[in-house]
Amino acid sequence: MEDFRKLSRRDFVTISGRAGLTTLVASAMGLNLGVVQVVKAAMSGKVMPFRFAILTDAHLFSEQDHKFDGFLADAVDSVNGMNPRPDFVVYCGDIAQNGRDDQLQKGIKILSKLSMPVHYIPGEHDWYLDMGAAWRGHFGSPTWSFDHKGVHFIGMNSILVRDFWTAAGMSPKERMGTMEMLESPIAGPWGVREEQLEWLKKDVKNLSPDTSVVIFTHSPLWDYYPRWNFQTEDAPEVREILSKFSRVMAFHGHVHQTVYNRIGNLSSVGTISTSWPWPYPDVKLAFPEMRMNRSDPGNFKDGEGAQHIDLESDANAVMHYDPFGDMLTPTMKNGFRV
Amino acid sequence: MKCNTIYRSWVALGALGLLLQTVDGREPFTAAELADQEAALLKVVDHGRDLWHGSNPSMSTNGLACGNCHPDAAASNPHTFPKFQADLGKVIALRDMINWCITVPQGGKPLDANGDDMIAMEAYAFYLNRGARIAPGFATEQTSPVVVKSGVGYPKKGSGVGYDK
Repeated sequence: MEDFRKLSRRDFVTISGRAGLTTLVASAMGLNLGVVQVVKAAMSGKVMPFRFAILTDAHLFSEQDHKFDGFLADAVDSVNGMNPRPDFVVYCGDIAQNGRDDQLQKGIKILSKLSMPVHYIPGEHDWYLDMGAAWRGHFGSPTWSFDHKGVHFIGMNSILVRDFWTAAGMSPKERMGTMEMLESPIAGPWGVREEQLEWLKKDVKNLSPDTSVVIFTHSPLWDYYPRWNFQTEDAPEVREILSKFSRVMAFHGHVHQTVYNRIGNLSSVGTISTSWPWPYPDVKLAFPEMRMNRSDPGNFKDGEGAQHIDLESDANAVMHYDPFGDMLTPTMKNGFRV
Repeated sequence: MKCNTIYRSWVALGALGLLLQTVDGREPFTAAELADQEAALLKVVDHGRDLWHGSNPSMSTNGLACGNCHPDAAASNPHTFPKFQADLGKVIALRDMINWCITVPQGGKPLDANGDDMIAMEAYAFYLNRGARIAPGFATEQTSPVVVKSGVGYPKKGSGVGYDK
C-alpha cells in the first residue's frame, strides 16, 4: 500500500490500464477487424498511398511569447519531422482565440514553417469578431474541395449560427465573447447551412460512388454533445448528400480530444489540439476505448499534439495521434483503422 | 428515599427538555423562505460562473480562465476533494486546487481562500456537479458535470446561465 501511495498519477493510470488490457485489446481487435471488413468490401483500389497531417485549435492569444505559440511551433516541427513526409496539412480551425487579425497573423507566421501545403477551414474563434472578414482575407473561401492521389477532399465551414447579436444590440466584441464560451447557450447550434449544402450537392454530383471521400469540418458531423456544440445541426443533411459513397472519412477539430464514431458509411474522427484538452462530456460513446487518458494539469502540453493519417493503396486509412505526452490508450498507440 | 430522589431528577430533566424545545425548536422553513435561500445560493453560483469564465482579470495573466479546461465545471471533480495533489505533494482542499489552477496554468493572483469569491467558485463547481457521489481521494477518471439541456436551440428552456433545474 505504501508503494502504491508513491505512484504518480500517470503510473496509476498506466497500471489501471494494464489491468484492463485484455478487455481493451479485445475491443481493439473487434473494432479494427470490423472496420477492415467494411473497408475492403468498399474500396476500388485506385488510391496511391500517401500521408497527410492535421493541426488544429491553437487558440493563439495576442500576448507575445504566449505558451500556446510554442505549442503550435512544436507541433509544426513534429509534422516537418515525419517520415514519410505528409503531402499536405489540413488546419481544422481556431487559429485565434478572440478572432483578432493579429492572432491569425501570428498563426500564419508559425504555420509558414511547415514544409508542405496547408489547407484551412475556420473555427468559431476565428470568425465572429468580424464575421470571417480577416480569415477570408488570408485564406479565401472556407468551402473547398480537391482531388489528391485518388481521394476527394472536402472542407466546409460548420460554425455558422443564426443571428443572435443584432436584436440583442451586441457589439462585434460582445458577439465574439459569446462565441468564445464553449457552454454559452446564447448562440444556439452550429451548422453548414443551405448555401454550403447546395455547394456540396454539386461538388459530389459527378463523383463515382466508389470514390474515397474525406471531409473536414470544425465541429463533428454527428450529435456528440450539443451543449458544447460538439455537433453540427445539419450534419444529417451532409451525411445524406454523402450517402451515395461506399465510405466517407470525416475529421473534425473543436473537441480537443480523441474520439471516434461511425454512422452509416461515415466514420468520424476527432483531433487533438495544440492548446488545451477538453474533458469528455457525460455521453455514452460507441467506441469508449478511443478516449485518451485524463490529462495531467501540471503538464501544460499533456493531452495536446498533432496527428497524421496514412492512406494505403486499398484506401484503408490508418489514423495516428501524435501527442506531445503519453496520453493514448493501447487501442490508439500504434494507430487505428478509420 | 433514594427512589424518590431519582424520580425527582427525571421530572426535572423532563421539564428542562420541554423548556429547551420551546427555546431552540422551530417550525420547518416555509416555501417562501426556502425560495429565498435558493435564490441566495444561485446568486453566488452566478457570481462563481462569471469568475470561472474570466470576469476577474487578476485571476489570469495569459488570457486563460477556468472555463477553458473545465466547461460547465467538467473535470473539476469537487466531490473528490480533499485529495493528494502530486504537484504540491500533499492532501489539499478544493479551494487549494482552485488557487493552484489560478496561479500556475493561468499565471494569476490567488483568491483569498476564505473570501466571497472563493466561496462563489466552490459554489459553482459543486452546483454543476450536484448529485455526484462524495469520493475523497485519487481521481483517476475524469468525471462529468450535470448534463445541461437548456437554452436557445436546446430541448428545454433554462436559465441561460449554464445550469438548469
